[in-house]
Amino acid sequence: MTLQKILAGLVAPAFVISVLPATPVQAEPLIWGVQAEQTEFRYGKDTDVFAWNFDALVGSDELKLVWRSEGEFATKNDNFERLENQLRAQVPISTFFDAVGGIRFSSPSTGNRFDGVIGLHGLAPQFFEVDADLFVGEYPSARLDVDYEVLLTNRLIATPTIELNLPFTDDTKYGKAAFGPSLEVGLRLSYDVVDRLLSPYIGIHYERSFGGTANIKRSEGEDAGAVFFLVGAKMIF
Amino acid sequence: MLTLTTNAPRLVITSLAFATFLTLSASAWAGAGHGPAKGEPQNQGHMMGAQGGDSHGPAGHHGMEIGAPGKAADVTRTIDVAMHDNYYKPEQITVKAGETIRFKITNKGEFLHEFGLGTAVMHKAHQKEMMKMWEHGMIEADRINRDKMMMDHGDGRGMKHDDPNSILLEPGKSGEVIWKFSKPVDLEFACNIPGHYESGMMGPIKFK
Amino acid sequence: MITITRQHVVGAVMGLGLVAALGSGSAQAGEYNITIDPVTIDTGDFTRSGVGFNGASPGPVLRFKEGENVTINVTNNLSEDSSIHWHGLILPFQQDGVPNISYPGIKSGETFTYNFPIKQSGTYWFHSHSGFQEPDGAYGAIVIEPKEREPYRYDREYVVQLADAHPHSGNRIMRNLKMMADYYNRKQQTVFDFFKDSEKMGLGAALSDRMAWGDMRMMATDIEDLQGFTPLINGKGPDQNWTGLFKPGERVRLRFINSSAMTYFDIRIPGLKMTVVQADGNNVQPVSVDEFRIAVAETYDVIVRPAEDKAYTIFAESMGRTAYARGTLAPREGLTAEVPDLRKSPLLTMADMGMSHGMDHGAMAMGSATHKMPDGSSMSGAAHDAHSSTTHKMPDGSEMKGAGHAMPDGSQMQGAEHQGMAQGGRHQMSDDAMMKGMDHSAQGAMAQSGMDNSMHGGMAKGGMAKEADSFYASNSGLMPSAANGGKFLSYNDLKAQKPLYKQRPPTREIELRLTGNMERYIWSINGVKFKDAEPIRLKYGERVRFKFVNETMMTHPMHLHGMWSILDNGNGKWNPIKHVVSVSPGTTVYMETEVDAPGQWAFHCHLSYHADAGMFRKVVVEGGPKEQADASAVRHEGH
Repeated sequence: MTLQKILAGLVAPAFVISVLPATPVQAEPLIWGVQAEQTEFRYGKDTDVFAWNFDALVGSDELKLVWRSEGEFATKNDNFERLENQLRAQVPISTFFDAVGGIRFSSPSTGNRFDGVIGLHGLAPQFFEVDADLFVGEYPSARLDVDYEVLLTNRLIATPTIELNLPFTDDTKYGKAAFGPSLEVGLRLSYDVVDRLLSPYIGIHYERSFGGTANIKRSEGEDAGAVFFLVGAKMIF
Repeated sequence: MLTLTTNAPRLVITSLAFATFLTLSASAWAGAGHGPAKGEPQNQGHMMGAQGGDSHGPAGHHGMEIGAPGKAADVTRTIDVAMHDNYYKPEQITVKAGETIRFKITNKGEFLHEFGLGTAVMHKAHQKEMMKMWEHGMIEADRINRDKMMMDHGDGRGMKHDDPNSILLEPGKSGEVIWKFSKPVDLEFACNIPGHYESGMMGPIKFK
Repeated sequence: MITITRQHVVGAVMGLGLVAALGSGSAQAGEYNITIDPVTIDTGDFTRSGVGFNGASPGPVLRFKEGENVTINVTNNLSEDSSIHWHGLILPFQQDGVPNISYPGIKSGETFTYNFPIKQSGTYWFHSHSGFQEPDGAYGAIVIEPKEREPYRYDREYVVQLADAHPHSGNRIMRNLKMMADYYNRKQQTVFDFFKDSEKMGLGAALSDRMAWGDMRMMATDIEDLQGFTPLINGKGPDQNWTGLFKPGERVRLRFINSSAMTYFDIRIPGLKMTVVQADGNNVQPVSVDEFRIAVAETYDVIVRPAEDKAYTIFAESMGRTAYARGTLAPREGLTAEVPDLRKSPLLTMADMGMSHGMDHGAMAMGSATHKMPDGSSMSGAAHDAHSSTTHKMPDGSEMKGAGHAMPDGSQMQGAEHQGMAQGGRHQMSDDAMMKGMDHSAQGAMAQSGMDNSMHGGMAKGGMAKEADSFYASNSGLMPSAANGGKFLSYNDLKAQKPLYKQRPPTREIELRLTGNMERYIWSINGVKFKDAEPIRLKYGERVRFKFVNETMMTHPMHLHGMWSILDNGNGKWNPIKHVVSVSPGTTVYMETEVDAPGQWAFHCHLSYHADAGMFRKVVVEGGPKEQADASAVRHEGH
């Protein structure tokens, strides 16, 4: 990854219009689709949560525009614990990795915020799907998201996931303390019912905060860690 | 050569086990030429043996019936046969029982061809022989490799294609087969070079 | 006589009603009408909408006569642009039917009139060259009756056109593959496979195998990009059972055409030997086989002679063993024969990945001694003869040695290495290091090449379970073998019956590395997609030697339009001419082309989604007779 490429990724959206319509002689079909890794209901001790995580993408081999949406809606207080919408541009920088540049609009119940995003998206050796993002703004943070698929059969698939968030500054509005990481670990057992279009799953989700972030949680009367059982469905269209 | 060497023990056993059988089936390809012991060379007996061992009996029953090599003096009729790639002209031949015919064969194609007389079963057995010769490089698509043909194949005998009921001709070459047909039987003239019979280089011999 | 044969043929054709399907067309008239229509495709497994010709998919069987001038009015009844490409036909480039290369294509509602002379005979096919209309059903067969008597005889004939109908539309498939390259791979290795392998080979070995693949982020199961299709024979799924009738004892010519978008098939008819008499429309020296593999877009004509009064199953397993096409040859309607089970799915090996020096081996095993000589010159015809006669028939190591020395350039060979080669042969090529040594040795690749082939011969006779085939990487997982243990056709077996071109040294070599990125589903040549590539420029009158180096893990059927591909399979003057040359992973394959057709042509991998993803080139032939290039005026009758 070079800085140049990342910068190219950041300014890429400007070129989308000019790049996408290929010349008729060498037309390549437009790539587009929606990939929802998680649309699920989490049953917890304190609260239940409705959560989603999808990418809607459009583009070409050379440049993809991705709308990434992630949300966690807690039923206990009827509030969004997390609500993020990102507009990301992805440019290939190696065989298996894309550089990512874009913006994130966060609008959980505790308030709105814009960040810049730079990151990496791709497939690491041994088939680990990796998203590594740096969120740049007044309250910078980093996020590492790794998924792995274990094929029990070609349709019955166990997917362990791990997400690590690391704030670099104190962020009281969002309940984060500098270098107080929060960790989410999940395991979902899915079955591909219709192609890969619809794959219902059950699973378990565990989240826990550490350091200053954990202290903030506790000060709000919550546990630093929580376990959820979940049902949901993966969708690709 | 390797294959023959490997096969040799099996052939010996086969020969022993079917000793009587062999006497019959040995005549399968060579026809009357061998069976009634009219001084056919030893090596041919071997070749027929291999063939008999592979193809089992039925051919043997025809041994006496397909006729015998004819004498030039007895020839009453000459039939010209042109061998093309990969077919004969004519495509069928009519004979009378008891008739001795001189077949004048010319290879007008660009590939090696055979003119052989026999029953369908005999031809099938001979095709296996020809396939072995092919695999050993004794015959190639457009020529006979005489060096290999004469080569010692590990059993002290040569392996040749010199049966009286058949002739193998390189492109442009001519030759003849003189044959005395005995009684009406389902006979075919055919080229048993690998693939040729199967793609239709064969025709029926009809009895008037 | 000939007349009888012809009558039989015509009788069979009429009986099938194939000619009738042509509408107003008849061979004598030379004028044909084809409409490109939206159709419904029913495979027995699913029904979907698709694209067809004259209201059906597959379209009609077009029957031409060699020497005929055909006029074909093609009307596009689709709501989008369309086209028809005459696959394998030698014609003026404006008639070739590739949008933006031959012509602009045919707009919705318009009629385009093709007009060209038929200069060849044999089995071919036609299909749309627009978008994914071909995978969506827009394909049909072409049968051209020769002027001269054919070097074989048959009593009746059938077109057996294979396809891989998929419930998804081509556009959707491409989109899914781009989003997730393994979207359609349902043959991936599971944890249970891992446990089984651990039991078999030990945990350590199983783990290191998985780690090796994981490290490359590739899958040993990646043989068929696209699974979930229903294989068809003449438009009929396995349960719909296409049936061809015969009378016992008749010779039946089966014209196999693989019109699949993505699928190679291994074809057999249990109980029958098949004598291959034609490949890609050109007669080959007949070779009887028990089974053969047909690459996408290839054709093979075989003659079978079912003797018994019973049914025989035509069984075509996909190369990845995920599905099969099935038809029946029967003496009467309604009879069926046993349908075999699919064999176990193969797995790619590191050799297929170009590891283990498999690629070196493939490269030198081509038997293409001729043009790899250090001084760049070609062997003389005589030398080549000697080469083929000595090398292919070697029964064992010692013979091979002797033969090797008898080679015209024997002086170039070193005894020690020669011996090493022989050893390698006896040990069933297990020692790749030895191979490597050979390949890196200093003297002419020619000597190695010859020896490699001789080793091949030796091994074949040495009783190996699978006969070595130099068109696969050594120890390739894709190496086929006949279900009954018999003869499986190899590219090495294909020898032109009557060579079209005289042998001569090529004027130059063009290397085409077949490249790709499986994870992104990008396919390219020399690492460049069609979109970004300059055309390949050839000069009229030259003979170009193409060197395909397959650097991907998939098998690519490369198709050059407009000019014949002379496959260098080591048969010298009998190297067969084809229109599709299949290149297995981890191998290098050579073909030569007499550049005798001016204009601009398409050159691509015939796997639809690979071609579309960029494994495609435009070829421009510069020079040549102007009148030839303009011979056929492009008539565009718009409405």
